Amino acid sequence: MISLKALSKNSFKTLLIFSSITIAVMAIFLISSVSQGVIGMYSKMINTDGDIIVTQKGISDTFFSNVDIALIQKIDALPHVSSSYAMIVGASPIGHIPIAGIYGTTANHFPHYKLAEGVYPKEGEVILGENLAKQFVVKEINIGNKKFTISGVYSSEIGFEEGGVVMNIRDAGKLFNRSASFLLVSSSSPSEIDAIVGKISELSSEVEVKTTQTFVKEYNQFKIIENSSLVISTLAFAMGLMGIASVMSMIVNSRKEEFGIMRALGKSRLFIIKNLFFETLIMSISAYIFALLLSLGILAMLPHIEMLQGYVNGTLSLSTALYVFASTIFMALLGSLIPAWIASKTDPILLINQGCA
Amino acid sequence: MIQASHVSHFYGAEQVLFDLSFEIKSGEFLFLSGESGSGKSTLLSILSTLLKPSSGELLIDGESVEKIKNIDYFRQSKVGFVFQFHYLINYLSVYENIALAALEDKKQNIEKILEELGILELSSRYPNEISGGQRQRVALARALVNEPKIIFADEPTGSLDSKNSQIVYGLLAQAVKRGTTVVVASHDMQIENYATQIIRLKDGQIL
Repeated sequence: MISLKALSKNSFKTLLIFSSITIAVMAIFLISSVSQGVIGMYSKMINTDGDIIVTQKGISDTFFSNVDIALIQKIDALPHVSSSYAMIVGASPIGHIPIAGIYGTTANHFPHYKLAEGVYPKEGEVILGENLAKQFVVKEINIGNKKFTISGVYSSEIGFEEGGVVMNIRDAGKLFNRSASFLLVSSSSPSEIDAIVGKISELSSEVEVKTTQTFVKEYNQFKIIENSSLVISTLAFAMGLMGIASVMSMIVNSRKEEFGIMRALGKSRLFIIKNLFFETLIMSISAYIFALLLSLGILAMLPHIEMLQGYVNGTLSLSTALYVFASTIFMALLGSLIPAWIASKTDPILLINQGCA
Repeated sequence: MIQASHVSHFYGAEQVLFDLSFEIKSGEFLFLSGESGSGKSTLLSILSTLLKPSSGELLIDGESVEKIKNIDYFRQSKVGFVFQFHYLINYLSVYENIALAALEDKKQNIEKILEELGILELSSRYPNEISGGQRQRVALARALVNEPKIIFADEPTGSLDSKNSQIVYGLLAQAVKRGTTVVVASHDMQIENYATQIIRLKDGQIL
């Protein structure tokens, strides 16, 4: 009862703590979610339509990989292979857009991109992701000094694809001067995947063959993104939590006079700590819920912001949400209860005088 | 009632009270007088158990304050405080401020005391909604609610005009008539008219 009164009557202080906790928690959520989102989008792109990926040997990034597309015919002839396709992944300025993803693929992979309007591209044609298409009203676009006709618009759940361009692999080959960035192979029998990996490896000494799951796990770019994201999120997390603890500690210190009065009136240390515990709990839980809702709202809006072309996307996992919740409550309680405990041990009159100072 | 023997106190390296010994008998109205900085507020804080002396001993009803097992209950049940700046909790109403200090079996006294002090109609107001004189009467009501044996008041009229000061002194004198011991630290000499014992302090020593 006293806790609720203290929160409602000291509305400015309450608002200050509430805002600080909300902003700190949101920073933690958004930074970790966006980094996880980038990895998630690229992993999904690769995992969606293939069990096995074939890249050039010794290349750290698929952007630099060059695999002979002719290998597809030999792969298709292998037992238990149901389908395979080639893909070139690149990036280039498109019209007034400084950079966008370009996906050149064989025609058998076109159905992966759900047509919202128009038809799949022939040679000299492209289809645009819905996010990118919003920024063009013309029928032709320039990519790398070559003019392409827009034959349609597609939609995709993957942000990178929504903000990109899909074209015929031969056109992409000419643009990026390569045969294929990688080949993706699907099998009709999951138990034979390892055997197929071995057989494809025997077909050429210049390729590296992995299951898509292994590739995603071992891909250097993901490791870099994951490690950087871990460092940034950890820093944001630590800063956010330290911020929460500092604000709580400052607020408690500013209430020394009140604690001194209560001690002078015969209220026990436990009474003060208990009320502060409930105040902190009420405030940090409500700020956490507010921050969670705001973050979810922002994450839901991100893919629809035209300027970002769908490239910035966020995924907030339940485990992250629970971890942040527990840490927030812990740090808020730590920040408020430790100074309160120390203060409650001080002689009441000194507390009152410190509070007045 | 209260026996102070060889009480000294330091704030850091600075000594503010020097080996003070005296006795306050039950039912007395003690006036601790002295100029600003004479140590009267520090002595009052020590006598009221709100500050531990650096050395010396304080006995209340024959029992050493150091040995009181539940000092919180002691403060709540036996002692009442009135401070210069009232020190009411700003987020609690007048009634709630008094209820915060009241023992469970004394809560029934609240309305009666508020009525006696002429502030019953202020029950639901908050400290920032009433005048300085009214706040000090609320602080006095808070000090009286548990019918304590001793009331300590530090400059209780320091922020009041003479009319309100007279009211507060009158109320303290009434408490003495009911058998309560009252100890007031002040530099307001008007209180001599009400006091039954006076201790004059100068530079931390009894004159």
